[in-house]
Amino acid sequence: MIPVTVVTGFLGAGKTTLLRRVLRDPAWADSAVIVNEFGEISLDHDLIAVSEERFVSAATGCLCCLARDDLTRTLLDLAAQRAAGAVPPYARVLIETSGLADPAPVLHALMQDAALGATHALAGVVTLVDAAQGAAALSRHPEARRQVMLADRILVTKPDLATPPEAAIRALNPVAPLRAAVQGAAEPGWLLAPAPPPEHLPALLAAMQAEAAARHTPGLGAIALEREAPLPALALTLWLQGLAEHAGPRLLRLKGLVALTECPERPAVLQAVQHLVHPLDWLDSWPGGERRSRLMIIGERIPRHFPARLLAAIEAEVAAEAARR
Amino acid sequence: MTAPSLPELRDLLADALALWEVEGRVRIEADGLRLGPALRVLPAAPAEHPVRWWVERPGMQGKVQRRPCTSVLGLLRSLRNALGAETGEARRLRVARPEG
Repeated sequence: MIPVTVVTGFLGAGKTTLLRRVLRDPAWADSAVIVNEFGEISLDHDLIAVSEERFVSAATGCLCCLARDDLTRTLLDLAAQRAAGAVPPYARVLIETSGLADPAPVLHALMQDAALGATHALAGVVTLVDAAQGAAALSRHPEARRQVMLADRILVTKPDLATPPEAAIRALNPVAPLRAAVQGAAEPGWLLAPAPPPEHLPALLAAMQAEAAARHTPGLGAIALEREAPLPALALTLWLQGLAEHAGPRLLRLKGLVALTECPERPAVLQAVQHLVHPLDWLDSWPGGERRSRLMIIGERIPRHFPARLLAAIEAEVAAEAARR
Repeated sequence: MTAPSLPELRDLLADALALWEVEGRVRIEADGLRLGPALRVLPAAPAEHPVRWWVERPGMQGKVQRRPCTSVLGLLRSLRNALGAETGEARRLRVARPEG
């Protein structure tokens, strides 16, 4: 049986950072990874930097809404390739859900599909909760609450930034072991060790299925931005300020790889969770040699063209000012 | 690349109105843009640099107030304020080159 661990957590909780860290540990490197991203652009593969053969991106939709078909097929295809020697052997599968996924349908698929059940076993649900933004996410978004309710283990991330919302977590899940970690520095053995599904899980899943209509926050959407030409750092700065100021709490997540005019040979990794913009990280080179900025914005009721139009206006202004000097 | 054209600015401001949940249309007029019945955005003359835009709004005793805006972000902030939409929180960020 191939153990399958579901790694979940709301937008920006640090799932990708955790997986990148876990997979760098030689003891856990023999893992296959399935990543589901919300939106049209897939970025997490480049950020996790896992080997191509053992990585599957399910980037075209919300995994929880596609789980029964897509996830089952993906896991079975991967296992067939493993058996045929078409992919390197792997000891486990880690599924990173999108930050907006309800894990319940994913668990349903793993526990109830006969073909899947013959080869795969649910090893547990690891839920990440952002210490800084977690309380707001738990109060506003049903996805975040469901992720905590179904957790076998809870990892509080960014405890260096804020006091963890432990009371809110415990109100939803009083039993799952809870730890805190900075920058994904959690003990993989604790996180990923198989945990038998709790006895109450089938009843909890059934109750959640009955409330499937309330699975997602209304008005959520993903906006993709892609561009070939590098962007001046000043224009990027002003654009981020404008987005944060005008989209405010509706801006839930922003991430991407950006080519800056001042340093086009190295992609800047841009990460923002609501109004909190993380310091830029820099990759050594462009993944796949593709020098193209790719940004993904997830928000509530943000007009689809607003980010691109704002960026174009700011960039034109910055260019006009540079031309005057 | 030049400063945003009036059609580009109209589209941006229409999106901004939707984002601020303010009802109203943005129309191009002979000398600038009109937002709803009372607000106008007029491009500044090159000699007025660093002012890029003027926002005209009704003032006291029927007079028109003119406020200068030196950037698109300043223009958005000025309009949001004039429209009485809930004010956003201005933030200062810095994007820097990699160290070393």
